[in-house]
Amino acid sequence: MTFDFALAWTSLPALLNGAWMTVLITVSVMAVGAVLGFGMCLVRMSRNRALAAIGAAYVAVFRGAPSIVLLYLVYAGLPQLSIVRDTPLWLLFASPLFCAILGLGLNHSAYVVEILRGGLSAVPAGPVEAALALGLPPRIVFVKVRLPMAVRYGLKAYQNEVLIFLKSTVAVGAVTIADLTGAANEIFAMTYDPFTPLVTAGAMYWLLTNGLRLGFEALDRRLNRHLAATVPDRRPATVRRSRPGLSLFRQPLVRRLPAKPAARETH
Amino acid sequence: MGPALPIPTPTPAPQGAGTRLRTRAAIELRDLRKRYGEQEVLRGVTLTVERGEKIVLCGPSGSGKSTLIRCINGLERHDGGTIAVNGVTLEADGRGVQDVRREVGMVFQHFNLFPHMTVLENCTFAPRQALGLSAAAAAERAMHHLARVRIADQAGKFPAQLSGGQQQRVAIARALCMDPRIMLFDEPTSALDPEMVAEVLQVMEELAAQGMTMLCVTHEMGFARHVADRCVFLDGGEIVEQAGAERFFVAPESDRLKRFLRQMLH
Repeated sequence: MTFDFALAWTSLPALLNGAWMTVLITVSVMAVGAVLGFGMCLVRMSRNRALAAIGAAYVAVFRGAPSIVLLYLVYAGLPQLSIVRDTPLWLLFASPLFCAILGLGLNHSAYVVEILRGGLSAVPAGPVEAALALGLPPRIVFVKVRLPMAVRYGLKAYQNEVLIFLKSTVAVGAVTIADLTGAANEIFAMTYDPFTPLVTAGAMYWLLTNGLRLGFEALDRRLNRHLAATVPDRRPATVRRSRPGLSLFRQPLVRRLPAKPAARETH
Repeated sequence: MGPALPIPTPTPAPQGAGTRLRTRAAIELRDLRKRYGEQEVLRGVTLTVERGEKIVLCGPSGSGKSTLIRCINGLERHDGGTIAVNGVTLEADGRGVQDVRREVGMVFQHFNLFPHMTVLENCTFAPRQALGLSAAAAAERAMHHLARVRIADQAGKFPAQLSGGQQQRVAIARALCMDPRIMLFDEPTSALDPEMVAEVLQVMEELAAQGMTMLCVTHEMGFARHVADRCVFLDGGEIVEQAGAERFFVAPESDRLKRFLRQMLH
């Protein structure tokens, strides 16, 4: 089993085509996930019990089902319904690409709901109360204070989820879409060389995931520059890491009340 | 999003209202009650804060001081009694809360600055969003108040880059940017390192000297003596004793206040 550089070179256009499809699907699913995830997170966190239950069921179903099952259900299952098959909806559902983006998007958005919910519940009450006390309408407090802080809390978890789902897009082969893995498989079928195309495809996945990682890191630096700007921590790395993730936002030292405030006065 | 209900008119005009208007208190609490589940935190507090008056509120941990001032601007909903701020009534169901918050600024124990905004943005945020000020006008106003608390030179920094005392002064400036007529302080120096307490107290004393109406939860006796027109001792959710600062600390009447002061001095 050797790596055939000539084959890798000649199959590059086909693989790049597949890689483009993978990128297209990933970006579309991220968009769907952001919109659906945000909307369903609000539903999930609603004070209305019935709405919250609907949100919880959404997460349970779409996070619980394997993405490949969701893909089959959207692509092959939904068109069984007359309302899909016999209406203009069919124009959408006849497209494997649409079905792939919807199926993966449902799965991904369920994770986004939970990541965002975790972020929102991690936002300390203090800044939110301060904003309310300033007389700001609750909607603005949510959009400008609570949400931006929650996004910063959830960014790392979101990055993880995106990298995992990028690799799970291989499932779109099930609905006849030729993505990067599909292209590599096709070359394998034609040349009987499994090694070269799959290693090349693997390298491309690696580039994609690490490109995304760098993007997320840049975003993280930008969003959290208010922390990066603090006095540099010169303690040994082992000490610095002893409380990982604790100080995304600086917590003031809590000292409970009496603390002898009178001492200064009474000598 | 507009106010949820008609804004209570600040100038009611029935006969004889004029006199009432002139003497109308800054804050008027009548039989204020608040409970968390079974526990009654405020058991009928009646307190009037006149305009320009400075009141220091103290009491042991869990006596309801924080709850009391958090009820005044609606961060906590009260369960009974009435709250009126500059004549605007805050209903128990939350009606009137936005109007009350326009009258009242608040400073918290833990500063509660917006960590992702610079000092300047912290101060311009509410004037721009709630009052509709332009960026330039809001910045000008913010710089005025930041200079007032002597921290204008840090306007471009983020809260995490400042000391506790500096953060608390920014928090005071941020509240002042909304031009409140009343300021509530909830243990503003309790989370500070001792060497930073003075700079915050000094800003508060200046504010008091300029005529701001202040209701202050604090155990800073020096501040109380310099500034307070009246000290109010809260214990078990009710006002036990109130008096001018000198008499309050030197000649307390009730046993509960005597015991509290003894513990504080230890």
